[in-house]
Amino acid sequence: MSRRKTGLKEHLEAIATGIKYLVKPNRITVYYPEETIVLSERYRGMIHYDWNKCISCSLCAMICPADAMKMYRKKGEKKARPGINYQRCIFCGYCVDICPTNALSFTRVHDVAYEDREEMLYPPERFTQEWVSPAEKEGAKKLKVVFDEERGLVHEPE
Amino acid sequence: MGVVGMLIRIALSPQFFGPIVFPGLLTVLVVLLSIIWVERKIAARVQMRVGPLYVLKPLGGAIQMLADGLRFFFQEFIIPESTDKLVFVAAPIVAMAFAILPFAFIPVAPKFIPYSVPYSMPVFLGLNTVIPLTILAMAWGSNNKFSIQGGIREAYMTMAYEAVLFIAAYAMALLYGTLDFAEMVDAQGIPGIILNPFSAAAFFVAMIMSAGKLPFDIVEGEQEIVAGPFTEYSGIAFGLTMGIGYVQLYGFTLAFTLMYLSGWNPVPAQLYSIYPALGGIMLFVKAYLLLMFIVFLRSVYGRYRLDQALRIGWRKLFPLSIIAVFFSILLRVIGIV
Repeated sequence: MSRRKTGLKEHLEAIATGIKYLVKPNRITVYYPEETIVLSERYRGMIHYDWNKCISCSLCAMICPADAMKMYRKKGEKKARPGINYQRCIFCGYCVDICPTNALSFTRVHDVAYEDREEMLYPPERFTQEWVSPAEKEGAKKLKVVFDEERGLVHEPE
Repeated sequence: MGVVGMLIRIALSPQFFGPIVFPGLLTVLVVLLSIIWVERKIAARVQMRVGPLYVLKPLGGAIQMLADGLRFFFQEFIIPESTDKLVFVAAPIVAMAFAILPFAFIPVAPKFIPYSVPYSMPVFLGLNTVIPLTILAMAWGSNNKFSIQGGIREAYMTMAYEAVLFIAAYAMALLYGTLDFAEMVDAQGIPGIILNPFSAAAFFVAMIMSAGKLPFDIVEGEQEIVAGPFTEYSGIAFGLTMGIGYVQLYGFTLAFTLMYLSGWNPVPAQLYSIYPALGGIMLFVKAYLLLMFIVFLRSVYGRYRLDQALRIGWRKLFPLSIIAVFFSILLRVIGIV
């Protein structure tokens, strides 16, 4: 292993770099609850379930590698419908990919918090709920990420 | 007049004003509350983020430390069963006392010296050397494996910086021909940092090591040993242990300013004529800027290992401080000072 020599010059260079960023900061974070980043169309957020499109093939429950997706059947009914457990879900997207009728789809919402673990269980009825980002509901400013040659990632208002 | 007049006279006397108001207790508190926020903000700017924000948002979270301090106050102070209770409780208090005590020997302005002794420089450094002992006491009293590891690291680190700190300071004493801070300032026509840069460099690094600030926060070693000797502390005692390093560093920056940056010069004459201690404003400004530079270094450097710090101490800084002594002798022989 070769040791890089650090003399006075290297120390001064390091300090100069620090001062450069101190004087001309290049912030790459956003003030989250007031501003949110508009995510990509293909972002893998919370999963939305379309009650009418579902044909109860149970492929989603079979493919799920984390055992998050399960089929629920009510007494007296023939059709079973999928429900999800977000304690287990790893957002791999297999269920969305395999669904033959596109009844499952990804939303762009990820900023969700739960107060207790029971809430993370979504039986078929709850699974159909529409997702809204809490920050956007509060009227957060939307920013989009643009790649800049010099500064790297820059946020611009949409 | 009467009682009120007497109280005002006591409050404005150097013996009281120095240790309690400026540069002592109250100023220490203000520095402590502000510099930690400044440190976090600087680190955030360099590291491309925002830093503390939501406590008093218009000022960018400026009173974040006040909020944290209040939290420390009202948090339960837990004394674990297995500790040596007297040592455990007394050590942080003694440490803080010895971190604040040296301020009594720091002259504030011309002819405004709290305790005028001809040996203020060695007294100042000597009082600071008590703090490692109290940290060892904390480590021993905590009866915790992380604490004792941190304590042993502190003992090793003392080996690395103590000799350098004293030799570098004595090089300046040799140069000015005095051991008193006030006379040192008077002797500086040219600032000491230009006269003897070797001594300044050695003292600068050694004082960061002594205060245990990044890149030398080896004793605390957050990534390895939780919080080192302070692991078992909670509540207000934890607040005290966190404060010790900053208070010590603030004291050292004042000493550095007095020895190398020509102290309170230039004295604003108008302010001095109102009240002598106000003439020390330049001393505070210089020390605070230096303090800001030191906390800025946190965002530039990675942490050194214990062996690396010892190697720097003995192989680089120790020879540098010896060179500084001979350089001082040379300057005296040539007759520049």
